[in-house]
Amino acid sequence: MKYDNIRNFSIIAHVDHGKSTLSDRLLEATGTIEKRNMKAQLLDRLEIERERGITIKSVPVRMDYKAADGGNYVLNLIDTPGHVDFSYEVSRSLAACEGAVLVVDAAQGVEAQTVANSYLAADLDLELIPVLNKIDLPSAHPEQVKRELEEIIGIDAGDAVPVSAKTGEGVPELLERIVRDIPVPSGDASAPLQALIFDSVYDNYRGVICYVRVVNGTLSAGQNVRFMATAQDYELTEVGVFKPEMIQVGALGPGEVGYICASIKTIDEARVGDTVTESARPAAEPLAGYKKVKPVVFCGFYPIEREDINQLREALEKLQINDSAISFEPENSAALGFGFRCGFLGLLHMEIAKERLSREFGVDLVATAPNVVYQILLTDGSVKEAHRPSDFPEQVRIEEIREPYIKLSIFMPDQFVGAAMQLCQEKRGSYSGMDYIAPERVRLTYDMPLAEFILDFHDRLKSCTRGYASLDYEHVGFRAANLVKVDVLLQEEPVDAFSFICHADQAYHRGHAVVGKLKELIPRQLFEVPVQAAVGKKVIVRMNIKAVRKDVLAKCYGGDVTRKRKLLEKQKEGKKRMKQVGHVSIPQEAFLAFMDVTKSEEN
Amino acid sequence: MSPKSLYIHVPFCERKCAYCAFASAVPKKGERGLYLEALAREFDIRLRGTRPKLETCYVGGGTPTALSPAQWNSLVATVEKHFDFAPAAEVTVEANPNSLTAEHLKIWRDWRVTRVSIGVQSFDDAELKLMGRLHDADGARRAIAAALSCGFDVGADLIFGLPRQTFRGWGLTLREAAHRGLSHISLYQLTLEEGTPWASLDEKLLGDGYAAYRWAQWYLPRRGYAQYEVANFAVPGRESRHNANYWREGEYIGAGPAAVSYTAGLRSKNYGSLARYAKSLEEGALPIEESEELTAEKSAREAAVLALRMTEGVFAENFIKRYGEKNYRSVCSAMQKFPRALYEIDNRGIRLTKKGMRVANIIWSEII
Repeated sequence: MKYDNIRNFSIIAHVDHGKSTLSDRLLEATGTIEKRNMKAQLLDRLEIERERGITIKSVPVRMDYKAADGGNYVLNLIDTPGHVDFSYEVSRSLAACEGAVLVVDAAQGVEAQTVANSYLAADLDLELIPVLNKIDLPSAHPEQVKRELEEIIGIDAGDAVPVSAKTGEGVPELLERIVRDIPVPSGDASAPLQALIFDSVYDNYRGVICYVRVVNGTLSAGQNVRFMATAQDYELTEVGVFKPEMIQVGALGPGEVGYICASIKTIDEARVGDTVTESARPAAEPLAGYKKVKPVVFCGFYPIEREDINQLREALEKLQINDSAISFEPENSAALGFGFRCGFLGLLHMEIAKERLSREFGVDLVATAPNVVYQILLTDGSVKEAHRPSDFPEQVRIEEIREPYIKLSIFMPDQFVGAAMQLCQEKRGSYSGMDYIAPERVRLTYDMPLAEFILDFHDRLKSCTRGYASLDYEHVGFRAANLVKVDVLLQEEPVDAFSFICHADQAYHRGHAVVGKLKELIPRQLFEVPVQAAVGKKVIVRMNIKAVRKDVLAKCYGGDVTRKRKLLEKQKEGKKRMKQVGHVSIPQEAFLAFMDVTKSEEN
Repeated sequence: MSPKSLYIHVPFCERKCAYCAFASAVPKKGERGLYLEALAREFDIRLRGTRPKLETCYVGGGTPTALSPAQWNSLVATVEKHFDFAPAAEVTVEANPNSLTAEHLKIWRDWRVTRVSIGVQSFDDAELKLMGRLHDADGARRAIAAALSCGFDVGADLIFGLPRQTFRGWGLTLREAAHRGLSHISLYQLTLEEGTPWASLDEKLLGDGYAAYRWAQWYLPRRGYAQYEVANFAVPGRESRHNANYWREGEYIGAGPAAVSYTAGLRSKNYGSLARYAKSLEEGALPIEESEELTAEKSAREAAVLALRMTEGVFAENFIKRYGEKNYRSVCSAMQKFPRALYEIDNRGIRLTKKGMRVANIIWSEII
């Protein structure tokens, strides 16, 4: 068998530059999907992806293409997410390709993720085919965008392919360019098997389905294979390709992209990035894998109904199989009961996970305010990682607190630079550079604490730049900062779910906002309840929830004691649904609203 | 032992007040007759020939004065046919100022009535109009004077927490009530009930009522009215024995639509609809819509709640005798959640303080 007719490529782009639409056109033009079966964003299978118009999961598809030279080609397209939170998905997909189609909106020009994803591809030595999309728009200015590509990314944009994914214009030319420019996969069919797992999903009937790219050797059904990271052997029950639905094939050879099933039950057995080899003739070395991504944003997930804790656990386990970047461990909050501390790659990632849990798994949950991971240097010289405020040791034992920093690049028209800089300053950012990427477009770079970024930076940037800014960031490690843990106390007792970490300068401001909000939300009790914010032992804010006064003295008429008792029982029941902290009853909404206040109110 | 208290519900009014959710309606033609016949039948079936000797009897509603004097004569005859009365029996009749007539008063005086409870609600004409009452303040004054002149003990019901009721307005109503020769004053906080015209009223218009109630607790005792129950104040010795019987878990017979009976540990409620009530009786069956018999623990808790309505509170000895040590302790520990200023606890028992009475509902909902 010959494999030089295979082309493996991804499409990379900034959000909204038309990546998914272009994928749809390629599927149509190659006859992979008949036009009448076409629906928009075909590869975005998750309901939430279609709804939000974003791609979260990488989805591979195999297209058969008869080129102008008369040859029959197999084009494997691996669609990739555009949002910065999901860049790990992008890099995984790219590792399974020899080239990438870089789509740039000819009207908007180079944006943050254009740059970020191009660099990811360049790092992996991928061949880039620049494509200028939306050239049918009157506002398209392809020549300037080409200049931007050359100046900012440093690639030759002279032969960029102009297309309109909307009308299909330029798509045939693009297909020819893919055949011509994407390198033929190198690989040896007779060498020991090496196949890279670049993704996996869980299927209720078939177990874990691994998405693989064969590098050397051949995969076929019935074969005994070994997963090199775990040294476990399995018999392949099914081997197939994506058209885009899964279709069984006899074998997958070098350069081919497809899937395998082997009755694998848990995701730990089939790690993304692992190499599959043959049990009988194992390869000497695994392929270069992926760095395990580390979650940077944490929050607690708690079931609304306490007895749903196992349902939540199962849902998280299943979600993790489809999204290995999520981490979770059980935690116990004095206020919210049993739940899980979950780690995410970013705020969008967290929101998506929360939404998928409730939509796909039917779990209603409360999420606590997100926080970043902190490193705490203790006085004894050891370093402790804190995933939540309650992980913080006593103040006296802390030598230094370090928080994660990011390098933030913001692309925007130059008229908004002032506003964006002001926002960055306010968010404790430190200026690192600014350059003009076009006569009126600027790239601004700042170093900023991740904690400030996740708070509400994106929303505020959007509003102060009227939606014209795009951003990207990379993690640049931990830096010491003057951080404090602010405890919130009800009746002198700290309530763990309300604690938060912030910069010392903001402790009063945020403490005030939180205490004020709680005062509003916690119903009056029979006694005065002091609500305090404290740093260590020092109380910085105090407000009182006044004691409840008169309650209704319903007339108990004509001896109808039953009615009165039922009313009282109903009241008691209502109280049960509130969380009892000491003698204070706190309604569930208070915990939810607390999130909002930490998110935005103290701006 | 047969019950010593009888409650008779008269399910008629000349007009429904805006706040009222009690079982009563403007009577259609022939309904009053139907009611009186059914009531007689209820006594027949319920008593099965026995003749309870009553210590207290209470005719409430609705509006008992919505029955004409002639109909009242028939009602009196029916009651006399079925019941004996103890020598100093307390017999109370509720009356509305607009429908109370001299003939009513005469019939009552000639019968056994000792107390007349008048639905005054307020001495402010604007408030009365807002509530949809058919009388004005002067009407209430005349009714009180007329009842007093017949030698009855006269009580009045007042409502606080009305929309836009001012503290001063409430103070004036209270002051007037305290100067009209009444022996009993009941205070009810307005509640917005489902299915009434005021159900959709914004609760914020009502205020918390705390100050109004506290003022009454301060003012009325100075005018000779002692608080003996969460909503009731009386000249000492003139407390309503009938109502106290409810709170002390005494047995009682309730007759008429929607009336509740409590006998032999079983609480039952009659059909609220007059038609349904009458039909059942016609078929020879007691008109019981629902009944309940509580578990020991539940009835203990309920008993504690009822007892705490009264200033005398829970008597430890009686309570333990009836419900056991364990149930008493569980009530005590429920009380411990509250600040000490709200209740007193000692060897004799548990009582709410004045301050406790002001937030009684919350305390009860913890105990129940």
